[in-house]
Amino acid sequence: MSDLTSSASSNNQTKALIVDDSLSQRLLLSHMLEQLNYEVTAAKDGKEALGLFDPEQTDVIFMDIEMPVMNGIEATRLIRQRLMDRFIPIVFVTGGDSDKYLDECIEVGGDDFIKKPFNASILSAKTRSLLRIKKLYNKLITQKKEIEEFKALEDKEHETAATVYENIVSTGYMDSPNLHASLSPMAKFNGDILLCAYTPADKLNVLLGDFTGHGIIASLASAPAAEIFYGMTAKGFGIREITEEINFKLKKLLPVDMFLAATLACLDRESHSLSTITCGLPDHYLFCKETATISTVASNNLPLGIISSADLNLTEEHHSVSSSQRLIMFTDGIIEAENHQGDAFGFDGVKGCLNAEKPHCFDDILKALAKHQGKQGQQDDITLVKLTCDFNPDKWQLYSTNKTHVRMEPSNWKTSATMDYNTLKRLNPVPALVNSLMEIQGLTPFRESIFLVVTELFVNSLDHGLLRLDSSLKSSTDGFAKFFELKQERLDSLSEGNIKLIFSHSPHKNGGILTIRIQDTGQGFDEQSVKSATLNNTTFSGRGIELVRQICDSLDYSDDGRQATATFSWQNDT
Amino acid sequence: MSISSQLSNNTLTISISGRFDFSIHREFRAAIDAVDGQVQHVNVDMRTTEYLDSSALGMLLLLKSKMNDRKDAVSLINAKPDVKKILEIANFSQLFTLN
Repeated sequence: MSDLTSSASSNNQTKALIVDDSLSQRLLLSHMLEQLNYEVTAAKDGKEALGLFDPEQTDVIFMDIEMPVMNGIEATRLIRQRLMDRFIPIVFVTGGDSDKYLDECIEVGGDDFIKKPFNASILSAKTRSLLRIKKLYNKLITQKKEIEEFKALEDKEHETAATVYENIVSTGYMDSPNLHASLSPMAKFNGDILLCAYTPADKLNVLLGDFTGHGIIASLASAPAAEIFYGMTAKGFGIREITEEINFKLKKLLPVDMFLAATLACLDRESHSLSTITCGLPDHYLFCKETATISTVASNNLPLGIISSADLNLTEEHHSVSSSQRLIMFTDGIIEAENHQGDAFGFDGVKGCLNAEKPHCFDDILKALAKHQGKQGQQDDITLVKLTCDFNPDKWQLYSTNKTHVRMEPSNWKTSATMDYNTLKRLNPVPALVNSLMEIQGLTPFRESIFLVVTELFVNSLDHGLLRLDSSLKSSTDGFAKFFELKQERLDSLSEGNIKLIFSHSPHKNGGILTIRIQDTGQGFDEQSVKSATLNNTTFSGRGIELVRQICDSLDYSDDGRQATATFSWQNDT
Repeated sequence: MSISSQLSNNTLTISISGRFDFSIHREFRAAIDAVDGQVQHVNVDMRTTEYLDSSALGMLLLLKSKMNDRKDAVSLINAKPDVKKILEIANFSQLFTLN
């Protein structure tokens, strides 16, 4: 028998604690255990055992049942309490009439019994078996702790990912009354992103995306995507150019098995049109709440980041839309959401909520989904977006020509650029040109107005001058898509012609005058017919020109409509 | 066993049972690693595939990359309608032979 200090010094031996009020029993059991090479500590009752007991220095406990001061059952109860989720086997020593306590012994946390008089082989076998259980149990506890730590680390990572993502997305995000979204809680970033911003020409660009994977990797990949989206939207690029640029960047950045399934949409209030480029997200629905018609907008491009932009060959769809239409978009979390029987909510679940009697389709979808999922509750990865094609002016931040904070030296300059037919096939020169004007004169406060004017005049020259498209085509819903189809077709087969853009600036009074002149080599058109159309404000295309007239001081067509000249004046603060 | 591979006449057939998702990531990676210069064509047999998620699409891209991105090197065959729908949404017919 050794005391506590000596047992603490040698660590390799198995340590047993004997609790018995009979000195002879203590000595006998100690002797037998020491023969088995155990290190033994002994106590004469439960109370003394609790005082001596050190969880770090005990591998197995032998406990007598009936003892003065504190019996074995009470002592076991208290030891188990102290151990919490740790495990040290406790063997009750039984004999005489102590069998009546057996149930109670197990109840308070006993693991086994050994009968007096002791048999060395049984004692050895039982102890070894219990020690093996202890070892297994402790291994389990260690693993559990590791898993818990890992889980905590992962939660922390998710949280970081969510914060990073939120910072990325909120820098540049513009709230739009036309966009309504339900995203999974930020604390659990699932790889879904939603971006939204207005172009200088007041078009609304929206990106809904779903990265493969989740957590920190997906949120890191969302950074370049968001940066490109916001940067290019602010400069007035269209969704096709933005999509190609994001694809280019992600292809370079992401490992082979990661990509971004996304849809880019552009809502244009000038032409009442909605353009979409769909890249691997589940079908969207264009729903008209008045007629209850649902048209499916299916994915017709590869997800982004898989192949090079040169091979991408994006298909862009154009829809003529009215204020009663909304585009319902979602990621796969919604259609895959299961009820208790394992049935998915599916496309039909969404479609079922789209009908004319129900005015709040967005909330209806969420409610139906919650009902479908029942007691299991909402799963985390639910992303639902409604883009309302409402062109009510209140909903659009009107181009504001804020002339109150200007203080700049007006200068005299002239610049021009000529785009031949090959260039026109490849790119829209307006964003780059307008940006260069901003560099020359610092007309930044008027950027949006100038952008809008140049865009409208350029598009007019291209569509009607070079491509000779008839805008009356656009007056019907079908014709609208046909118009864009025809435009692409004629652009592809264009084999001659060019458009020249000339910008000149001169000081005037306390400010300056910018003259924008756009010439094309097309066949020209009857200026008068355009004028009357715009006055009636009946055609889709006329609206743009009308807006140019409102912004500019003058707009004149000459050379049979082949040349448009607009002047825009500005004033410094007085 | 949710993945089994069989090689005959330079064609490797990888069959996937049940859910084709992140849970079989390792097995699928092992199947890809087993592809060597001898393999001219890979069939991914989805006859008994019940479900496909985006990480599965990623794994298919890895397989394609292993086959040096040759367009007709990998065929995705026997997919059930639900699974086929997912492949169609992703427009994977541009990258793989679907039938």
